[in-house]
Amino acid sequence: MNDNEVLIKIDNLHKTFDKHEVLKGISTTISKGEVIAIIGPSGCGKSTFLRSLNLLEVPTKGTVTFEGNDITAAHVDIDKTRERIGMVFQQFNLFPNMTIKENIMLAPVQLGKMTKEEASIKADELLERVGLLEKGNSYPAMLSGGQKQRIAIARSLAMNPDVMLFDEPTSALDPEMVGEVLSLMQELAADGMTMVVVTHEMGFAREVANRVLFIHDGVIAEDGTPDEIFNNPKSDRLKDFLSKVL
Amino acid sequence: MKANKSKHIAITIVIIALIAVAITVGIRLTNNGNAKVISSIDDISGSTVGVQLGTTADIYVSDDFEGDDAGTKIERFNKGADAIQALIQGKTDLVMIDEQPAKSYISKNPSLAILDEAYAEEEYAFAISKSNHELTEKIDGALSELKADGTISSIINNYIGSDEQKGQTPYLKKDVERTNGKLVVATNATFPPYEYYDNSNSNGIVGIDIDIMQAVCDKLGYELVVEDMEFDSIITSIRTGKADVGAAGMTVTEDRKKNVDFTDSYTEAKQVVIVNTHSASNTLSFAEKFKQNFIEDGRYNYLLTGLKNTLIITFFAVIIGIVFGSLIAIIRTTHDRNGGLTILNFLARVYLIVIRGTPTMVQLLIIYYVVFASVNVNKVFVAIIAFGLNSAAYVAEVVRSGIMSVDKGQFEAGRSLGLPYNKTMRLIILPQALKNILPALGNEMITLLKETSISGYIGLMDLTKGSDIIRSVTYEALLPLTVVALIYLLLVTVLTALVSKLERSLRKNER
Repeated sequence: MNDNEVLIKIDNLHKTFDKHEVLKGISTTISKGEVIAIIGPSGCGKSTFLRSLNLLEVPTKGTVTFEGNDITAAHVDIDKTRERIGMVFQQFNLFPNMTIKENIMLAPVQLGKMTKEEASIKADELLERVGLLEKGNSYPAMLSGGQKQRIAIARSLAMNPDVMLFDEPTSALDPEMVGEVLSLMQELAADGMTMVVVTHEMGFAREVANRVLFIHDGVIAEDGTPDEIFNNPKSDRLKDFLSKVL
Repeated sequence: MKANKSKHIAITIVIIALIAVAITVGIRLTNNGNAKVISSIDDISGSTVGVQLGTTADIYVSDDFEGDDAGTKIERFNKGADAIQALIQGKTDLVMIDEQPAKSYISKNPSLAILDEAYAEEEYAFAISKSNHELTEKIDGALSELKADGTISSIINNYIGSDEQKGQTPYLKKDVERTNGKLVVATNATFPPYEYYDNSNSNGIVGIDIDIMQAVCDKLGYELVVEDMEFDSIITSIRTGKADVGAAGMTVTEDRKKNVDFTDSYTEAKQVVIVNTHSASNTLSFAEKFKQNFIEDGRYNYLLTGLKNTLIITFFAVIIGIVFGSLIAIIRTTHDRNGGLTILNFLARVYLIVIRGTPTMVQLLIIYYVVFASVNVNKVFVAIIAFGLNSAAYVAEVVRSGIMSVDKGQFEAGRSLGLPYNKTMRLIILPQALKNILPALGNEMITLLKETSISGYIGLMDLTKGSDIIRSVTYEALLPLTVVALIYLLLVTVLTALVSKLERSLRKNER
């Protein structure tokens, strides 16, 4: 993308659980409009890295700067930043005690972004966009996995975020439902949404992403375009990984 | 649903029937025990003796027989009436008790008899706190005037005089200025004719002691307030300031003098021995018994008042328990999740350890006699506080387990949308937790409802105490206890039905 405005800057990020160091110094920048796929073997730290971007995991060391503000500094109101960062989880995490529409309207209304009426209109727009307008009054338990994930995406979009984080969004889905979620994400990317996606879907990483990060053993081992990563891997570790997943 | 409900009712009825049969059979079995025949006070040694806890009979028997070679056994009961009940059922061989109550008991139980020879002679007086000499002197003054003008003997004759004298000279409360405030008199109203419940009287509790105290109050310008409690609580109440005077057919003994002062004696009394002659007792039909226990003198009113108090206490204690318990649970989970709140979390943990580690009854007594020691406070209020605080500890752990049962992803989803911690808790986590814990919470409410039956220990008239009072007047165990058990069973059934209805409506969105 030609718009090079930096949205998130990550500097020397470390994260240690008990005595196990998961992230061992990650530095990179995420620019507006980028669609970044994060790949790597399980346990390499890619989910932890993603979750550090909105401080669901608090880094042990290093900084995350969002739109010029260091959100890892003390006394930062992280809730304000999280309003700008959407997040989609592997397990969808819809609120089972609320209807689909209530799920979508909750945050904008509770955080004073919209009135109930505005949020309701917005929710209907989003439901139409994800193709589930008729499900507005259903409860999450009545939906299939693919439908739940599309609703989860709509719920994040309701806050008009500047960036969307996806944590293995299709890993918990039955194979026949993966397609509907990926194509929705592809539409988002086409609309210019900045996205960071932890994924095992190499097809998606190759087709939709414009940048791929290969994380191995807590560091970014390779960083490049899909063409560079998939067609000209430099390191043996990436070659080894690709030989297993492709 | 319908079929399920009628099945539930059928099971309830079967259980009730089984309880009734078990109780009846139980009485038959104990009735035919091979009781020792007691024909003189020399036979006491080696027998099983029933006494009322803390009375002079208890002191005499403990001093004279406890641990002797003949193996005398002493059974101590909270109420004289309970001791009599046990004697009728053959659980004890004899009951040692004050002469006048003994006469009253045997008049209603033809199979009982009093041994001719009294065990001891003694004097009754009123007990007053050692720190209140002034009151002792004032009451002594009033008593001597009342003795001189014949009031006391006319009061006594009205209850226990010859047949011509009885009921002829009731003491009538005088219309005088009561400028000196209230005089709280502690008594144990299971001791006829000195003090007992009589529903035909508007005060509830009547008797020789009560009339004499009324006469004293009329002389001294006090307003009489009578507090009913266990006999062995009376001296404690006086010492802690809960009551001003103990008037309970109380004998002056050296041990008691160490703890309280006594006024001049107002009457003499004897300790006598009641035995069971096993002569054919008159058997009342069920209908007559029912009438005697619940209809005569409007005795069902004891159960109604008791039921009202039980429901009030349970209702407000449940609310306190849920509100306070949820607060504790939130403090604990917030601490576990985010750190912080260290001091509050520490206090919460101490609270849980103390409340869950001590019996509810002890907590109730401590709150009444220690925490509210110097305050004259409504007993229902005390019970609500005690049971509410107790319940909160259990509710706290239930709510905490409910919060932990909600998937961590729910919390993360809420926070990642930008919702603050407290909104995430209130809007997302707690509603789901509530649904998960509803059965456990219902269980806690049922436990609480039944636990209120110990309220009688602070002299509060709850449902159980209501049946106790009926028992103390009619000497009948089966009916009052069964009826009260049935009322509790009914309340619990209704409560269970309400909780499962709520549960169903909360589960509507799960399919």
